[in-house]
Amino acid sequence: MKKITLDDLEYIAMGSTVLGTGGGGDPYIGKLMTREAIRQKGEVLLLDADDLDDDAFVVSIAAFGAPMILLEKLFSGDEFLKAFDMMETYHRKKIDAIIPAEAGGLNGVIPIGVAANKGVPLVNGDGMGRAFPRLEMVTFTLHGISSSPMSQADEKGNTAIYNTIDNVWGETLLGSATIQMGGSSAIGAFPMSGKQVKLAAVKGIMTFAYEIGKSIIDAKKNKENPLEKLLETTKGTKLFQGKISNIKIASDGRWNKGICEISGLNEYKDSNLVLDFQNEFLMAKRDGKPVAITPDLIVLLDAENAHPITAETMQYGTRVVVIGMPCDEQWRTPEGIILGGPAKFGYEESYVPLEQLV
Amino acid sequence: MKYYKIGIDVGGTNTDAVLVTHDNTILSKTKQTTTADVSTGIKNALEEVLRLHPVDLPEIKYVMLGTTHCTNALVERKELNKVGALRLALPASKAIPTMTDFPEDLKNLLGKHFYMVHGGFEYDGRVLHQLIEKEIKDHLQKMKGEIDSLAITGVFSKINNEQELQVAEWAKEVLGKDIKISCSHQVGGLGILERENAAIINAALKNVADRMVKAFQETVMTVGIKAQLFIGQNDGTLMSLGQVKDFPVLTISSGPTNSIRGAGALSKVENGIVIDVGGTTSDGGMLVNFFPRESTQAAQIGGVLTNFRMPDVIAVGIGGGTIVRFENAECTLGPDSVGYRLLEKGIAFGGDTLTLSDIMLSNGEVVIPNALAPEALQQKIGLHTKLDYDLVVEKVKEQIQLKIEDLVDKLKTESKPVPVIACGGGAFLLPKSINGASEVLFPENREVANAFGASIAQISEETEIVINTTQKDEKEEMDSLIANAKEKLLKNGADAKTIEIIIKESTPLAYLPGAVKLKVKLAGAFEIM
Repeated sequence: MKKITLDDLEYIAMGSTVLGTGGGGDPYIGKLMTREAIRQKGEVLLLDADDLDDDAFVVSIAAFGAPMILLEKLFSGDEFLKAFDMMETYHRKKIDAIIPAEAGGLNGVIPIGVAANKGVPLVNGDGMGRAFPRLEMVTFTLHGISSSPMSQADEKGNTAIYNTIDNVWGETLLGSATIQMGGSSAIGAFPMSGKQVKLAAVKGIMTFAYEIGKSIIDAKKNKENPLEKLLETTKGTKLFQGKISNIKIASDGRWNKGICEISGLNEYKDSNLVLDFQNEFLMAKRDGKPVAITPDLIVLLDAENAHPITAETMQYGTRVVVIGMPCDEQWRTPEGIILGGPAKFGYEESYVPLEQLV
Repeated sequence: MKYYKIGIDVGGTNTDAVLVTHDNTILSKTKQTTTADVSTGIKNALEEVLRLHPVDLPEIKYVMLGTTHCTNALVERKELNKVGALRLALPASKAIPTMTDFPEDLKNLLGKHFYMVHGGFEYDGRVLHQLIEKEIKDHLQKMKGEIDSLAITGVFSKINNEQELQVAEWAKEVLGKDIKISCSHQVGGLGILERENAAIINAALKNVADRMVKAFQETVMTVGIKAQLFIGQNDGTLMSLGQVKDFPVLTISSGPTNSIRGAGALSKVENGIVIDVGGTTSDGGMLVNFFPRESTQAAQIGGVLTNFRMPDVIAVGIGGGTIVRFENAECTLGPDSVGYRLLEKGIAFGGDTLTLSDIMLSNGEVVIPNALAPEALQQKIGLHTKLDYDLVVEKVKEQIQLKIEDLVDKLKTESKPVPVIACGGGAFLLPKSINGASEVLFPENREVANAFGASIAQISEETEIVINTTQKDEKEEMDSLIANAKEKLLKNGADAKTIEIIIKESTPLAYLPGAVKLKVKLAGAFEIM
């Protein structure tokens, strides 16, 4: 895949939902936006990180805000172009390529549309290899790459440039402005050189999302088992199979926290699994013992067709399969575990890689 | 006060009717063939229940109709209106224009006047953009003479409907006061694309609804009944004919709801699983406090994504006409069915196709007029399958058992056994005992559960808003939401004593501190006048 076509987009959107690990916002809206952009402006060139010039100027363009708001107040599309233009103006450089900050969920798809509109390539990589709820939770942070100077724009035409002292402050200030902007905004952030991208990005993630989507969607056509194909593609592990028996959601200010209980079926009969989520699924405990812990990916799938289920669309009684996927190696370093591990979300358990738990 | 009600269900194959007393005792029932004009089938059914149990016609107070008329019109793309659509949303939302994800054929059928204009609100009630009168009226001018009805959808109109109502006023000025208008805040929940789709489909169905309502009124009148008439909607509650003309889209998928509620009432079970066995499929749904459990997944209707309140129904290919096949002594059921042609295709009726009905007829578990006698049929089944008859029955029953147990398991939310209620014309196919079921009930009158469900339907009111809890008190907002819904119900004729809160939910929104979505739904029975 050297160019992202309309057909590829369907696969990538499905893959992004898997990488969203229950959160990240439903890519449906992003897919529709991007479809329009590709139809009008043409296909998007996908560039491997290693093919970037060392001195190339690369930025992330992302949607920022509450997924629920995005479903009611749709984007204009212009706010992303403005966030892009502002980065060029402020940095006095032409942007050579866009890199998604977060391949999981909505933000895995939106940058494709922006790249189509601006006629620039998209980097086959991102800063998470999954979805996380906060701006600073990217592999870029691990390499000391600042999110600033960064741009923000809303659909009304309001814009801002931020120079924050660190990426946590970036999140804080963007967040409070977004609320005043009506719950959603577009940002341009993480201005980087090609050299930095090569060092810090989770490489190949867009083709990975594409392959994940292809495994699930094409399995039916090819009369294959979509779950087996998916596990094969992702080197994932089946953690559990059962039926959703209880869902509890509570608000903790900014995040939707909750648990989803699954009672076992087949080989997991007499067992239960509890998924803990804060927007994304962060911890899976089988019969009280952790079997997958953030930053490893925990994905909830419909047992019938292996389609991913987000925390917002979970439903009592659905037959599901839970799989674990190893996170990018960068998240498994001591710094990575501090930034994206269980303690960051207030869990007492220490991180143990998925492969050692099961 | 004593009075009578008649419940009618028009399905693809049969038109069923029941005559019931004011306190829901069935006096007579019938199954008639659905006719192409629909009216004749309804007339036949009405006349038959009254022939079986004559009553003084003036004592019939209510006639309730459940119908798939609007669903079929949409799916078959028949008789749809030319629609104009206005989205009040700029400067937001233009990245995804109106009807972006509509099937191309449907979009073309509906016309070309789909516009986005300035307008809308923010989640916290602030104005996103003021309406621009000239901009909107210019678009309305272009629609003049080219549309039958108009759909108006504004950003966060569920929080503030003023703009949608203002545009509706302007539309009447420009297009004439008879223009049919469908405002999105009245037909759907949060999520603008789905709500806009619902408003557009609603607008497209207006003429279909008008004709359906007129036919219903005329038919009832021909029979000599002067009752109040209602049509069932998909949440198991009723709409007046006036409401149906305004919101035809809400009648879509009322069938499963009626049978689930009807079966619950027939068996006097409040919570359990209802399996409605028809000619082609068995449709299972959960009954929760006398109402069907609703699906949380967005419903696609005629290829269009909507956010309707649909009952959560799972279908398996087990029906009276389901074709039975044997290969190497292994049995497969369907999923295809001879459907309504059972009486010509089935072996018991001289046909050449082995169906589930043939099996049940052959061992005397069901009796249908004009079918072969069991002994003769047993012999024919043996010849047809080239297998021992007893083995055939055993294998078929084993398959039914497996599929039904699987269905029950999928529907259940907990491992505790729950009652299963059988209904529909093919209820005889269901096993007498099901793994995971505390009991299997075959209530009397089960074959007309859907018509009975229509006759006992209540009226309801449902509403949802998003509030900012840092500015407003959640409890106060919830209380006022409930009070408003109750007031509306009373206005629509509900008996205050019977009004109940069916749903009361508050869901926090991710990433937005303090923003909470509140949703309530109330229902009540009709006042006994």
